[in-house]
Amino acid sequence: MVELRDISFVVGNKRILDGLSAEFGERRFNVILGPNGAGKSTLLKIATGMAQPTSGLVRYAGVDVATLGKDRLATTRAVLSQHVELAFALPAEDVVMMGRYPHYGRTPSARDREIVGRALEIVGMSDRRSQAYPTLSGGERQKVQLARVLAQIWNYDDPRLPKYLFLDEPTSSLDIHYQIHLLDVARGLLDFDCTVVAILHDVNVALHYGDYFLMLSEGRVAAATDGAGITRELLERVFQVRAHRVLDPEAGEQLWRFTL
Amino acid sequence: MTAPTRSRLGTREVCLLLGALLIVAGVASACIGAFTFTPAQVVHYLAQGLGWQAIPAGNDELGRRVFLELRLPRVILAGVTGAVLGVSGTLMQGLFRNPIVEPGLAGTSAGAALGAALVFVFGERTTLAFTAPLGSFAVPALAFAGGFAATMLVYRLSVSFGKVDVFTLLLAGIAVNAVCGAGTGFLSYVARDPQARNITFWNLGTFTTAEWRGVTLVTICFALGYAWCQRYGKALNALMLGEAEAGYLGIDTRRLTLMLLVVNTLMVAVATAMVGVIAFIGLVVPHVLRMLKSSDYTFLLPASALLGAVVMEVIDIVARVLIPPAELPIGIITAVIGAPVFLWILMRQRRGLSGFYG
Repeated sequence: MVELRDISFVVGNKRILDGLSAEFGERRFNVILGPNGAGKSTLLKIATGMAQPTSGLVRYAGVDVATLGKDRLATTRAVLSQHVELAFALPAEDVVMMGRYPHYGRTPSARDREIVGRALEIVGMSDRRSQAYPTLSGGERQKVQLARVLAQIWNYDDPRLPKYLFLDEPTSSLDIHYQIHLLDVARGLLDFDCTVVAILHDVNVALHYGDYFLMLSEGRVAAATDGAGITRELLERVFQVRAHRVLDPEAGEQLWRFTL
Repeated sequence: MTAPTRSRLGTREVCLLLGALLIVAGVASACIGAFTFTPAQVVHYLAQGLGWQAIPAGNDELGRRVFLELRLPRVILAGVTGAVLGVSGTLMQGLFRNPIVEPGLAGTSAGAALGAALVFVFGERTTLAFTAPLGSFAVPALAFAGGFAATMLVYRLSVSFGKVDVFTLLLAGIAVNAVCGAGTGFLSYVARDPQARNITFWNLGTFTTAEWRGVTLVTICFALGYAWCQRYGKALNALMLGEAEAGYLGIDTRRLTLMLLVVNTLMVAVATAMVGVIAFIGLVVPHVLRMLKSSDYTFLLPASALLGAVVMEVIDIVARVLIPPAELPIGIITAVIGAPVFLWILMRQRRGLSGFYG
């Protein structure tokens, strides 16, 4: 479980996060929603241990993140960002191997190499493993990055070890195919005792994949709920839009359409 | 677009190959020059110099002294300087996350030269308050201060929000180089005549001033600097992903950047104080290695030290034999070879192909 207790973050005299508390459940797909400027990115930086909150604390499975060493933190949680560019032509598998850096000293072990191979397999990039990263398409690059973060927290064969995957708007520059693929893979990790925390922008995608939703507005929690709690009133108030319910008759799924 | 064929040799094999090449280049450099020695003589003199072999009675005193006091320190100085510049280019390209950076372009060498020139001109004539306590370390110390200030300025200007802006980097480098160059020029203008000629010649890069004390200092600084930074190959690789991603992998990027800038400046400044400004080696050496094999820094760091040394030995031989009895300044040769390579890389980068060569 990722536990956020009374998190405040102040820059100058601007309160970006204001006494925010939340709990992201173990083996669940947790989604952070909210308009631009609500403090989502700042919250993610704090939740991943990369920024110190002005006050409050973050715990992973009861352990204060500030007390975890750098390598321990790097082997416990991984973060997938929007898009990662490389100015140099490393082969895809070398990029994935970077996920293993916190695990080994000078040279990777046979197990590290095996994990890189399996991570590439999971994202479907095994046949491209020796291709130079900058020559891959945007979607393929993001698959390689996904394989890298999978390799980083790879201890899926030991359920006792907690592992957390944070996704920072990972699909915002991907086409639909890659979006679905990426989120399917992330969702599949729940079966391997991984906890997922994702910032997503598309409300319908979020509702489809998420189990738990933290809605932020102006640095505070507007709602912390399961899918049923995402109401028309809440969406209209937080995003300053008009929300319309649409039914997908084939899937029997509720969708939202938004207008101003 | 087909990928260029890369060497399938491992890091160890490539480094052994480069090491063998370095021995050949070093022996050649020791043999060739105004005084010509045979490889056998070189071996004998070396053994005698190290005290492994008794000095034979005979009239070979001049040859031995020329070799041990002039040629040998020069060969070592050239090799170590090449290694320094090669490693420095690799480190700076890693830190700036761009293949067009090197100490000559980012102001490190020019800043160091200005610092050293200050001591050359003022230090000996008027025991300045700030150089006196440093004693014989005044030249390297001020070279370090100048090089560090220049590099930090260029780095700060070109990095914003964790990203490096290439064109700001180049422009900042031009400005800092111009200011430092003007400072060094002014110093050689106000200097007394022999000093002025020395500064002008030294500023173009030269190994003629090699003597054992300087060679020892440059070598120690390189050995310490290299031993320190060779552990950071993985961290430099991770830094390719950007500062945020490297941070998520457990790397303290702020500390890494500062440490590597300090170590890099130390190596470059001390070498520059001895041999002057030699540009483009730090650019061309890593570039060739990236094309031959890989951009993996755990490979580039040792390989750029070795290839840098090899290239510098060869260039020093060329400088000695091209227009005898005079010697060509090293910086002129490296600029003639390096500038076109620089333009080529820049053009590829502008076309967005930077990643393709490796």
